[in-house]
Amino acid sequence: MSPDRQTLEKARAGDAAAFAEVVDSCYASIFRFAMKYTGQRQDAEDVAQQACIKLAHSIASYRFESAFSSWLYALVLNCARDWHRQQSRHRADTLDEDCGEAVADSADESRVYLRQVLDEVDAMGSGYRDTLVLVAGEGLSHREAAELLGVKESTVSWRLHEIRKRLASAAMQENGHD
Amino acid sequence: MTDDDLKSLFEGVDRIEPGEEARARARQAALAAFAGKNAQVPQGNVTPLRPTPSSNPLDGNGRSRMNMSKRQWLMGGAASAAVVVLAVSVVMKIGNPPFEPRSVLPVASEGTAPKPAPPEEARRDQQAQLAKRQAENAAAEREAVAGLAKGQAMADSVSQEMGSVASAPAPTIAQPRPSAPQASRKMVAAAPPSSAPVLAEVSPPAQYQEVGRDRFEAVDSSPVKSVATEPVSTFSVDVDTASYSFVRRQLNQGVLPQKDAVRLEEMLNYFDYDYPLPDSRETPFKATVTVADSPWKPGNKLLHIGIRGYELPRAQHPASNLVFLLDVSGSMNSPDKLPLVKQSMGLLLSQLQPSDTVSIVVYAGAAGTVLEPTPANEKQKILAALDRLSAGGSTAGGEGIQLAYQLARSSFKKDAVNRVILATDGDFNVGITSNAELQGFIERQRDEGIYLSVLGFGQGNYHDQLMQALAQNGNGVAAYIDTLGEAQKLLVDEASSTLFPIAKDVKLQLEFNPQTVSEYRLLGYETRALKQEDFNNDKVDAGDIGAGHRVTAIYEITPAGAASGLLEPSRYQPQQPAAEGHASEYGFLKIRYKLPEESSSRLITTPIPVDGGELSARMARETAFATAVAGFAELLKGGQYSGNWSYQDAIKLANSNKGEDLYGYRSEFVQLVRKAEVAAAMK
Repeated sequence: MSPDRQTLEKARAGDAAAFAEVVDSCYASIFRFAMKYTGQRQDAEDVAQQACIKLAHSIASYRFESAFSSWLYALVLNCARDWHRQQSRHRADTLDEDCGEAVADSADESRVYLRQVLDEVDAMGSGYRDTLVLVAGEGLSHREAAELLGVKESTVSWRLHEIRKRLASAAMQENGHD
Repeated sequence: MTDDDLKSLFEGVDRIEPGEEARARARQAALAAFAGKNAQVPQGNVTPLRPTPSSNPLDGNGRSRMNMSKRQWLMGGAASAAVVVLAVSVVMKIGNPPFEPRSVLPVASEGTAPKPAPPEEARRDQQAQLAKRQAENAAAEREAVAGLAKGQAMADSVSQEMGSVASAPAPTIAQPRPSAPQASRKMVAAAPPSSAPVLAEVSPPAQYQEVGRDRFEAVDSSPVKSVATEPVSTFSVDVDTASYSFVRRQLNQGVLPQKDAVRLEEMLNYFDYDYPLPDSRETPFKATVTVADSPWKPGNKLLHIGIRGYELPRAQHPASNLVFLLDVSGSMNSPDKLPLVKQSMGLLLSQLQPSDTVSIVVYAGAAGTVLEPTPANEKQKILAALDRLSAGGSTAGGEGIQLAYQLARSSFKKDAVNRVILATDGDFNVGITSNAELQGFIERQRDEGIYLSVLGFGQGNYHDQLMQALAQNGNGVAAYIDTLGEAQKLLVDEASSTLFPIAKDVKLQLEFNPQTVSEYRLLGYETRALKQEDFNNDKVDAGDIGAGHRVTAIYEITPAGAASGLLEPSRYQPQQPAAEGHASEYGFLKIRYKLPEESSSRLITTPIPVDGGELSARMARETAFATAVAGFAELLKGGQYSGNWSYQDAIKLANSNKGEDLYGYRSEFVQLVRKAEVAAAMK
């Protein structure tokens, strides 16, 4: 996910070829993050595309003050949040889509499960989804996630604790019904 | 559920490879955007080469999504100015129901989908969206902490804020919030890591600032009175200084203060005049009366009454049981409010003796105890508790006051000074909000020996009237802290005055001699006027004097026979011949006071001679400076009685009578007059 400094410098200066290189080297990571955040290929592709466009606009403002990867995380996370906000406006649409989708293979199955979990986590309030995806999905440390989210490290730990508790109790209920 | 379980959630998804087609599309869009950007460098959030139906063959759903987001970007710019206010109000609203943040965050966004919304509504919607984003960080954190208090007070947004502290009983609670130093949280968009480029498009102002909602009681200046018809003047002392600090703040910003904010007596009493000290502790204060010519009206005289309280040597300081009652509501989120409150309380702490106790109660949406009564020698613990505070939520001031008194009672020390110190911007909007009810409550507590002092902070939404009323009924000082310097003056240099009362219910009554005086006017003290019969009634409350306090009152009098009076002699009332034998006195001054622990008053009397002899150089200087301050206050109030006297005259008079001025307050006063002159000229 990290293009070298020289390429970044060039891209910042407006070199289109260098920028293309940056996009090429980052796209996969962007997409994967988006995939984890959205749980749906099409949405992930949308988010990733938005992120690439945003990258084009703001790469000049990257000042090497932090790792490029964390800078990029902040950018992609914001695109993902934008998407999420739009999506919650169109909740009805998305649900229809979900129902219509056939569960074909195990990857799809895990996607469906992930979406359920994400929905569940969404219900806990804003910020929980971000935290879950960054820490559990992307393997960031609590500190890194906290920095990205602009909250305290303890808040991240707390959110994860709450998420685990919530999911555990949801699982228990399900078992109980079975 | 373990961490690994959580991780495994994403495993299946992680294996999914990006589609080549999508990748190419994104690449193309990004490159186009990149080229477009470098061609024309758009401002902020406009994205000129957004995917359009031609360049971006997405399905219908996706396209409408894109379009909508574009609209949002465009609107975003226009709305961002208004957002600040909105973001704040949203955040403040969030305070109440902690468990349904989603329903509290702008609900408008749920149903008002893109197309049918009329422009106005759409605009508001956009604002709400942006506000939501800005509020997100703050809100998210609050939710996180709200979780802590689960099972405890449901609507307790103080424990939301103070989670770790307020709801101490649950052991798990302390854990997620270690005592890590908490940077003061900005309400508007907690700044993300410095590198994050994305929030740059809405650059939020650094703080919350209200403008133009300071509230002051309108009081007319006391009028000129005729000695023939109304020879007796009665009023209560007042040692507040709030008005001066507030006026100073306004003038330092280059504007004249509103007239109602100027209370002459509080400006006058801001300064430490070098009046003679009382001889012993038995009479806790000494009154010195001097008569000098009025600088603004030839013929008139100014009669100064200077009172100085007994200075308690440090060894004699009584023990203190202090409860800091701190407002941590959303409106306190400004560098000159909560952070200054914390610093001020830290300063005060440095003045306490090891055995004194300190407790901290905070209120926002609800009230909570942050620090149980703690001896002052555990300074670190107290400072840490102060440090953890952050602002947010609405303002249940009434509830906070009740809780603070409860705590003060629980640690009540019989021989100590039991005092609640309220620090607030005066905005009470939840719970007991009726001033009368609050005052009644405080009055009852006062009779039980718990006093209240009020420290005002911030501006823009400062409710002076309530602050005054609370402090007056609580036997305390109402002061206004605009800078750390003021906090230093009030809480360190004058800590003993602020903390330790030496006399209470101090009333002054002056009877003028109609033989020698025809008219008089009391400068200031309008809100402290008493009825003549209240003077001897010990049930009637009046102001208090703390250790070392100075109180100054000035009467402007027109000696009998002088042509400088304003009142015409009556055509029908025959002039009463005045009683003989007192032609050498202007009047007779009586002062009633109670010692702090007593309930019956004592009386001091002194006649005021017409010829008081030569003033000592020191008294002449002090009275002249007091005159300059009073004159300045009169000018700020409109100069109704000060004739042609100008700011320049005030500067001259003050400058030549600064004296030693160890702390520089008098020099600062001269600067203030200059600023007022400039501000008045620009008006």
